[in-house]
Amino acid sequence: MIPCTDFIPAYSELFGYLEHRGGKQAVVGFWHYIADNFLGNLRELVEEHGIRGCWLYWMRTLNEEAADFQMELDEETGEFRIIMYDCPSKGMLLSLTHMEPYDDYCGHCPVLYSRVLEPLGYEFTTDLSECDRARCSCTVRAKQNP
Amino acid sequence: MSKQVMRRQASDNEYLHKDFHGALSTGIDYLEKTYGEQAVIEYLRRFTDTFYAPVKRDVQERGLPALREHFERIYQIEGGQAQFEQTADELTVRVAACPAVMHMREHGYTVARLFVETTRTVNEALCEGSQFTAELLEYDEQTGRSVQRFSRRASR
Repeated sequence: MIPCTDFIPAYSELFGYLEHRGGKQAVVGFWHYIADNFLGNLRELVEEHGIRGCWLYWMRTLNEEAADFQMELDEETGEFRIIMYDCPSKGMLLSLTHMEPYDDYCGHCPVLYSRVLEPLGYEFTTDLSECDRARCSCTVRAKQNP
Repeated sequence: MSKQVMRRQASDNEYLHKDFHGALSTGIDYLEKTYGEQAVIEYLRRFTDTFYAPVKRDVQERGLPALREHFERIYQIEGGQAQFEQTADELTVRVAACPAVMHMREHGYTVARLFVETTRTVNEALCEGSQFTAELLEYDEQTGRSVQRFSRRASR
């Protein structure tokens, strides 16, 4: 068994293996697959609770992942934000001295969450400019009616 | 309508997100459907060779005690029940139920057909280059209950 505490290196290696087999297209194809087949709990929470569903989803995951973060929910403006001061996943990968993390590891986040949230009427934006220091931020905002 | 803020530091929580098992299972399912069974095995071997390289070295140097410590660590983290029987030449690990499989079953995640390879292939790869060989003697797909045996290779 691979314990859940060793999952992040397994995930990173999976991205690398997929790129080796089918190029970046294969990696993105997997990200779409995992959004469609694994993130049903996020989809259901947002369908039921609206933007608060994001708060409920990430409250559990980020606490279980022992992240160093701040989450903000403003239901009046329809905005949810995460400021990640130290991402446990990227932080773990950066700390490993005996293996090389997948170079676009953080790229999975915007692809996965946009794919779940945009069809529900939300835009998902990220700032990954400091992800090489395990820091990032993301915002979920209700789309304006055209 | 209110504004809520939550601030947490890493030290506020224990690192244990068992839903990751569901993500790994989804990855294995995708690999099998896209590239076939051998791709699952190849990926898990590559993962073991890279990430578990320190464990493999330890197994090559110390043999069964290193394997036992590795599995004790894993099942302690996950809260799984594992019994160990060890002699000079053999280690048997009896797992009452795989914590990963049980978590996925309890939370409605699909357990990939080849999820068993996270035990069989990883164990075999851990032993490669050592004096020991790994066998998966029993495995129940519903619960992940298993009997895993590590034996000294026959000398020629």
